[in-house]
Amino acid sequence: MIKITELQKYYRTEEVETIALNKLSIEVKEGEFVAIMGPSGCGKSTLLNILGLLDDPDGGSYLFNNIEVADFNERKRADLRKHNIGFVFQSFNLIDELTVFENVELPLIYTGVPSSERVGRVEKVLDKMQIMHRRNHYPQQLSGGQQQRVAVARAVVNNPKLILADEPTGNLDSSNGNEVMELLTDLNEQGTTIIMVTHSEHDARYSHRIIRLLDGQTVMENIMI
Amino acid sequence: MIRNYIKTAIRSLSKNKGFTAINVLGLSLGLAACLLIVFYVSDELGYDTYNKNIDNIYRVNTDVRFGGNEASYAVAPAPTAAALKTDFPEIEQAARFRVKGGFKVKKGNQNIQEDMMVYADPNIFDVFTLPMIYGNKANALKEPHTVVITERTAEKYFNSTNVVGRTLTFDDNTPYKVTGVIKNIPHQSHFNFDFFVAMPGLDESKEDMWFSNNFQTYILLKKGADADKLNAKLSSFMRHRAGPQLQSILHLTFDDFEKGGNYYRLNLTPLKKIHLYSNKLSEIDANGNIRYVYIFSAIAIFILLIACVNFMNLSTARSTNRAREVGVRKVLGSPRKYLIAQFLTESVIVTLAAAVIGLVMAWLFLAHFNQIAGKELTVTPQILGWLVPVLFAMVIIIGALAGSYPALFLSGFNPIEVLKGKLAAGFKGGRLRSFLVVFQFAISIFLIIGTLVIYNQLKYIQNRDLGYNRDHILLVKNVSTLGSSSQVFKQEIKQLTGVQNATLTSALPTGGFQSSTSFFKSPVPDQKNGILPQRWPIDADYIPTMGMKIISGRNFSDQMPTDSNSVIINETAARMLAFSNPVGAKMYEPEDNKMTRLKEYHIIGVVKDFNFKSLRENITPMFLMLEPNDGTLSIRFRSANIPALLAQVKNKWAQLSPNQEINYSFMDKDFDSIYRAEQRVGSIFMIFTTLAIIIACLGLFGLAAYATEQRTKEIGIRKVLGASLSTIIGMLSADFVKLVIIAICIASPVAWWAMNKWLQDFAYRANIQWWIVALAGAGAILIAFITISFQSIKAALANPVKSLRSE
Repeated sequence: MIKITELQKYYRTEEVETIALNKLSIEVKEGEFVAIMGPSGCGKSTLLNILGLLDDPDGGSYLFNNIEVADFNERKRADLRKHNIGFVFQSFNLIDELTVFENVELPLIYTGVPSSERVGRVEKVLDKMQIMHRRNHYPQQLSGGQQQRVAVARAVVNNPKLILADEPTGNLDSSNGNEVMELLTDLNEQGTTIIMVTHSEHDARYSHRIIRLLDGQTVMENIMI
Repeated sequence: MIRNYIKTAIRSLSKNKGFTAINVLGLSLGLAACLLIVFYVSDELGYDTYNKNIDNIYRVNTDVRFGGNEASYAVAPAPTAAALKTDFPEIEQAARFRVKGGFKVKKGNQNIQEDMMVYADPNIFDVFTLPMIYGNKANALKEPHTVVITERTAEKYFNSTNVVGRTLTFDDNTPYKVTGVIKNIPHQSHFNFDFFVAMPGLDESKEDMWFSNNFQTYILLKKGADADKLNAKLSSFMRHRAGPQLQSILHLTFDDFEKGGNYYRLNLTPLKKIHLYSNKLSEIDANGNIRYVYIFSAIAIFILLIACVNFMNLSTARSTNRAREVGVRKVLGSPRKYLIAQFLTESVIVTLAAAVIGLVMAWLFLAHFNQIAGKELTVTPQILGWLVPVLFAMVIIIGALAGSYPALFLSGFNPIEVLKGKLAAGFKGGRLRSFLVVFQFAISIFLIIGTLVIYNQLKYIQNRDLGYNRDHILLVKNVSTLGSSSQVFKQEIKQLTGVQNATLTSALPTGGFQSSTSFFKSPVPDQKNGILPQRWPIDADYIPTMGMKIISGRNFSDQMPTDSNSVIINETAARMLAFSNPVGAKMYEPEDNKMTRLKEYHIIGVVKDFNFKSLRENITPMFLMLEPNDGTLSIRFRSANIPALLAQVKNKWAQLSPNQEINYSFMDKDFDSIYRAEQRVGSIFMIFTTLAIIIACLGLFGLAAYATEQRTKEIGIRKVLGASLSTIIGMLSADFVKLVIIAICIASPVAWWAMNKWLQDFAYRANIQWWIVALAGAGAILIAFITISFQSIKAALANPVKSLRSE
């Protein structure tokens, strides 16, 4: 599903050029659950951003479903992104002014789903995440675990093929964290590909495969299954 | 989609109540101020537009230069109208007004002084659009002793409007037949008479006198006629028509007259330009001034800009708080145009709310504003008819303008950076925001300097030695109505305790009395030794009563029978006549219009120059003659008990004239009214300056709040490291005060230049002093500092542990 080859990314300031990704090559198959680990500054987040089409690489190739997307412009990337990729963040990133329902509904609005259809789909996914009873609450009224469940609901409402999770349990206590990991595992079992960046060995154990990065290069791959 | 925009906008706005309040309040104040000025300006621009033929009506003016004097009159000689009509076929109608002051009009057994009176040619109704409700406009004013009145006057005297054929009694004895009733004249008119008296009853109107200008003369051009071409032909018209009379008076040809550096010519002012562009002698009423229309329009735009700048500044400053939302929406696939639309929706909603509040504010302030501006503005359905669409368009434009920068700025965020919180660091840069703050304060400082200069000039006028003393003078007007008893009245008043002196004449330095005649230094009239001074009739008590000073020679005396052949001149006249010793010199005045006989006068004294026109103008030559004139009794009193004095004066008046109300005023008040236009401009300037400063400070307050919020952590760390309260306040204020100082540097020279231009209107002026600029600058810094202090003190006093933990 995803194949990157010799991917490069630099960050330049006036004096220093930092290499974030150094000719990195990774392949992720459809239905996989991959964890990316590594110390701070090893390029995990940069990789995730490029995979999520939020950022563009400085070199190399990125095939998404066999289509070269490395040179896509902003509009094309946004289009591909909203139909195929869901995001889960460490800090949830829910919009405070919108209710739970409206937050989850947002991706459907952007992909142009008619309003009659939206209600059913949002309710279904809220039900699945067991937060239906909170549908009219605002994010600040929820616990961290609940907020992350809403974020996951929002990530999957469009039925994306790929979910990118950036330390999804980083802001949660262990029981809430485990719940979220269970959710992701369920989604994976239903066929969604998941790529997750994490610091937590515990969380990484939920995945099929761990890719360890150091200084923008793969240093080790652990197959968990 | 649009529902989603509105929903998010309203929630976001209500979540940030403080921010929204500042924005809405600032904008609505700005809009209210702007609306009031729009009312004012549209009122000023709408003068005389009620006339259907406004584009083809012109007033004929006379420009004169003679005897070293130059003057421009809004009036023309009596025969001009008829002669123009004869000579120029492109003129369809030519009609005249002659303003001769008021009459007493009898109602029951009471006499009412009416000043809105004019003699008018019968065809005046063919020139101006003055619809006649009753009567026949074609022959309404053909007969002497007929009068056309306005609806309200008819109501006032007859309690009915259908009063054609009924009679009004003028000055106690002359009956005038009402031959027409016209609709009330709109207040936006350069004349506003209630009585149009038939011109044929006025002998002066039939005289063939080309060197006496008293008639407001209007022409209606035929459609398609070229006014410029006609204007060009007017000089040869004057040469041809007035030349023969000039020959017989001065024994000069028109060419020789002009070779002597003199001129006498006619020109045209379009009716639509009379109110805003014309400020000549003998205008019917004080006109407006296009310059003030420009100034106020500029102020309105400035205030609106300041309010818009607030909006932009606060929205972008707040962007760090909104940035995450933008990032999330972008990650979820929102195209940039959706985000732009969302922020624009938000700003249009704020503007709409502000517009509604602003409209209500403007409506509430209108009565007060009318009082200050001397206007009668009302919100009528017609006004709302154009105002609401205009306001709606303004909401869209301002909403788009004010929202565009935040919309583009916020929607351009890179989502990754935003979500990582990198953007907060980039906030301080806001160069555009600094520029906008400088812009706001530059405007405010400009307005402060403007206000100070205007008030300084008004104070200067108040305190200037005018050559007479206007304090403690009571003026009793219309004394001539007492007839032969007027002298008795004067003598009896003089006897009252508390009265120092009294003089009887309508020629007052505050009264706008105008009467000029030519005098010559030799018994043979010659333009080289001619002078055209003001010629005022006074009595022997005049100079002491007014507190004027004789600087050489003596005052008139009732004991000297030869004084009726004497004249007292002012310093300016003495200088222009260039006598080595004016006292004792002789002057000659033509006794008839043909200048065949001349009367000899001895100069017996020179009076210190006194200002008898507005301080906008220089003092011109003045001849004071000992001649009876019983228009006004000026009473100099020393009594502190003014009510008691007034009671006594009223009592004397009532004894002599039981049917006529006394009409009095105080000279210092009359003096102030000469400068009412400037007073008004001063007040309006001050109000809008205050508003501009309030709005700018609202913005600064909001900005300071966000800046401090951004620096909470920094402040915490500094406090932990031992920074004192004052260092922190200083640090937080310095950034903004720096901007205000830059604004001062920009605004001061511009304001100095602009206000100097305004002062050029005054012949006597208080130049702009350095302290005005310094005061404005210091004031702006102080206001800015206080505004910021609210935030910085709060931040500096906060417990550092809290601010550090919150990060």
